[in-house]
Amino acid sequence: MEEEKEAVMVTPGEVLGRTSDVKAGRGAYAALHNNTVYASLTGFRHTVPPAPDSSDLRPTVEVTGHKAHGPVPQPGSVVIARVTKVMARSASADIMCVGPKSVREKFTGIIRQQDVRATEIDKVDMHLSFHPGDIVRALVLSLGDARAYFLSTAKNELGVVSAESIAGATMVPVSWTEMQCPLTGQIEQRKVAKAAS
Amino acid sequence: MEYVSPEGLRLDGRRPMEMRQIRAEIGAVSKADGSAIFEMGNTKVIAAVYGPREVQNRSQQISSHALVRCEYCMANFSTGDRMRKSKGDRRSTEISLVIRQTMEACILTHLLPRSQIDIYVQVLQADGGTRSACINAATLALADAGIPMRDLVTSCSAGYLNSTPLLDLNYVEDSAGGPDVTLGILPKLDKVTLLQMDSKLPIDILENVMQLAIEGCKAIANYIREILLANTKQLEYRRGV
Repeated sequence: MEEEKEAVMVTPGEVLGRTSDVKAGRGAYAALHNNTVYASLTGFRHTVPPAPDSSDLRPTVEVTGHKAHGPVPQPGSVVIARVTKVMARSASADIMCVGPKSVREKFTGIIRQQDVRATEIDKVDMHLSFHPGDIVRALVLSLGDARAYFLSTAKNELGVVSAESIAGATMVPVSWTEMQCPLTGQIEQRKVAKAAS
Repeated sequence: MEYVSPEGLRLDGRRPMEMRQIRAEIGAVSKADGSAIFEMGNTKVIAAVYGPREVQNRSQQISSHALVRCEYCMANFSTGDRMRKSKGDRRSTEISLVIRQTMEACILTHLLPRSQIDIYVQVLQADGGTRSACINAATLALADAGIPMRDLVTSCSAGYLNSTPLLDLNYVEDSAGGPDVTLGILPKLDKVTLLQMDSKLPIDILENVMQLAIEGCKAIANYIREILLANTKQLEYRRGV
């Protein structure tokens, strides 16, 4: 059809069709009082043909907004987060990167006690695994509840990748449970991530 | 004082149904999710939109749709006399509420539950019609932020002086003490979202003045759509699509 080849730009409020002819997809909405589909975003108009097995023969019209929103954490993606609060059974973290991209909006994640490591789950002490201010690499388990994503560090490559000691220096990992301060030699307990090399 | 000369010209040389020059610019505030500068003659307004983002005050969170908040202020240097007013004076609060209600009517808030949209509007230069310019700037900023809207809300003012309906009053005409109608509409849906009036006006003349303001709003809407489309084209060109 001509509509698919030609790049038509629309602004909010422009008429895209009637509800009897097209379905409102992303970036469009249907006004029920006059059976008309309007655009709700500024961008390019696209027409998606209906699925072959679908009983509804109307194509779906979409508007692709030009605004590039930041990445959103999905279940299964590896994120970099900063620990903000450590409690007895969980730790709160702010997600800063999703894979190699940094996020724009604020996303909160929770690392629960049973998701810290794969072995000896009952013996996990949260305060010996994370500290506020640590940078951790974690895996998104699920979207969690309405407030926070559920994160997991129950793999060798996941865990604390950067931490500061009491003296203020960045600590060096010495084992999978310990980090050492290069200035004072103090050893602190963390759930350390395995180095990438 | 005479505001419309016998030849049909106003004090600044416009015809009664002529608007002041409109200029708009998108993306003035780089840190904001959407921003715009809007000028109507000598009135200059800057608007910034942040959001949709997490609600800051948990108690104000609405589970079914987005919370829209608006803050309006005039810069101290924006008027002829330098002002010393604090932020919470009555006029600013009233205009903030007016802009918030107008934007709430056009944003599809049910698509963004438990979130918050902040609109900040500041008047840099005031020469009458600041309310209308603020609404137009906020609409441009919301469209720039990519927030889904039913339509672009546009606003325009109209008045009645020397037995003549006048479109888009400036400060001198606004200070003349005559009626001043501020109208906000959704031009494609043909709905009124804002109607305010000062002073008195017979009902039949009010309809004439309103009709004049509606035509002004539609002209502003056409201009705003051109600005948005040009901005989108430029972005696509820059992205290399």
